[in-house]
Amino acid sequence: MAFRPSKSKKHNTQLQGTLNMNSMMDMMTIILLFLLKSYSTSGALATQSESLKLPVSMRTTKPKKELNVAVAKDVILVNEQPVMSTGDVPPNEIIIPQLELKLREYAQRERELEIEVGKEFTHEVIIQGDESITYELLFRVMYTCGQSEFNKMRLLTVSSPPTE
Amino acid sequence: MAYKPSMRRSGMTADIELDIKPVMNLMVVLIPLLLAGVEMVKLSIVEIDLPPASAGAGKGDEKDPEKEKEKKLGLKIAITMDGISLATAGTVLTGEEGEGPTIPAQATGEQDLDMLKEKLVELKKAIAEKGFKDKNTAIITAGKDIEYQVIISVLDAIQSYKDDAGDIQPLFPQVNFGQVVI
Repeated sequence: MAFRPSKSKKHNTQLQGTLNMNSMMDMMTIILLFLLKSYSTSGALATQSESLKLPVSMRTTKPKKELNVAVAKDVILVNEQPVMSTGDVPPNEIIIPQLELKLREYAQRERELEIEVGKEFTHEVIIQGDESITYELLFRVMYTCGQSEFNKMRLLTVSSPPTE
Repeated sequence: MAYKPSMRRSGMTADIELDIKPVMNLMVVLIPLLLAGVEMVKLSIVEIDLPPASAGAGKGDEKDPEKEKEKKLGLKIAITMDGISLATAGTVLTGEEGEGPTIPAQATGEQDLDMLKEKLVELKKAIAEKGFKDKNTAIITAGKDIEYQVIISVLDAIQSYKDDAGDIQPLFPQVNFGQVVI
């Protein structure tokens, strides 16, 4: 005679384990709040790399998104597009012709936008320079910007306010 | 006959758990999204507003009698490898030894920014009541090989100072750049 299947064992298998998620929820809530607090809507303005290390400054003025001229150790970029190599900067002129050409293009586009859709031409340009570029190069880049209608320059720096 | 005791006590107390699955789903989506937007490095800017190019060199030569009467301080800060020299429209400030840069560089080759600040605060206090038009302006020039970081550090040093009462006062926050003419 066969045994009758055990009733208690049959019920055993139906026991359901639930994951205790309380602590995980706590953690998630804290992370979420922290991230919300440090969230910026403007997105990343600059990507630092080996050849573009921004200098450190004590200032805390927040940057806005504008036309972006980056002077890395070996290349000059306008809005992340490489324009020329720093080696090609003419040694005897203050102005940098290739850069000026590109900037005038952007200025022209900005002016067209101002007429067509009413977006104000701010004349602002963000200059990101590597901390080790020379004053001569920096001055030329700034002069070129000034000559191509971008006369409000913002030097981008990494902010480290003095700790007191 | 007594009433039958209520069965409520022994009734099934259902274990009700919050259904947090939708919240978890939300978190899983929100956290990567916010992580992507987090500022890992805090950036700041140094503002330099130059006059538009068209109003530059050409008009500068015209002599405006009104403008000539204005008292100009014309502070210039020249950075070289040997140190920092200060000059105003009338004079050049000399160093302790009479010659060379006003603020000699330190032995390590770094610029003495504390001393620069000290000298400028002195100057600022001396000109406080004189009514100079450009009392907040400084023109910075530097040698060819001066690094960008040094210039930014100097800009930091000349931006503001703490007066005797401990309040932060502007030193020479408006900055212009010039090139050394030899």
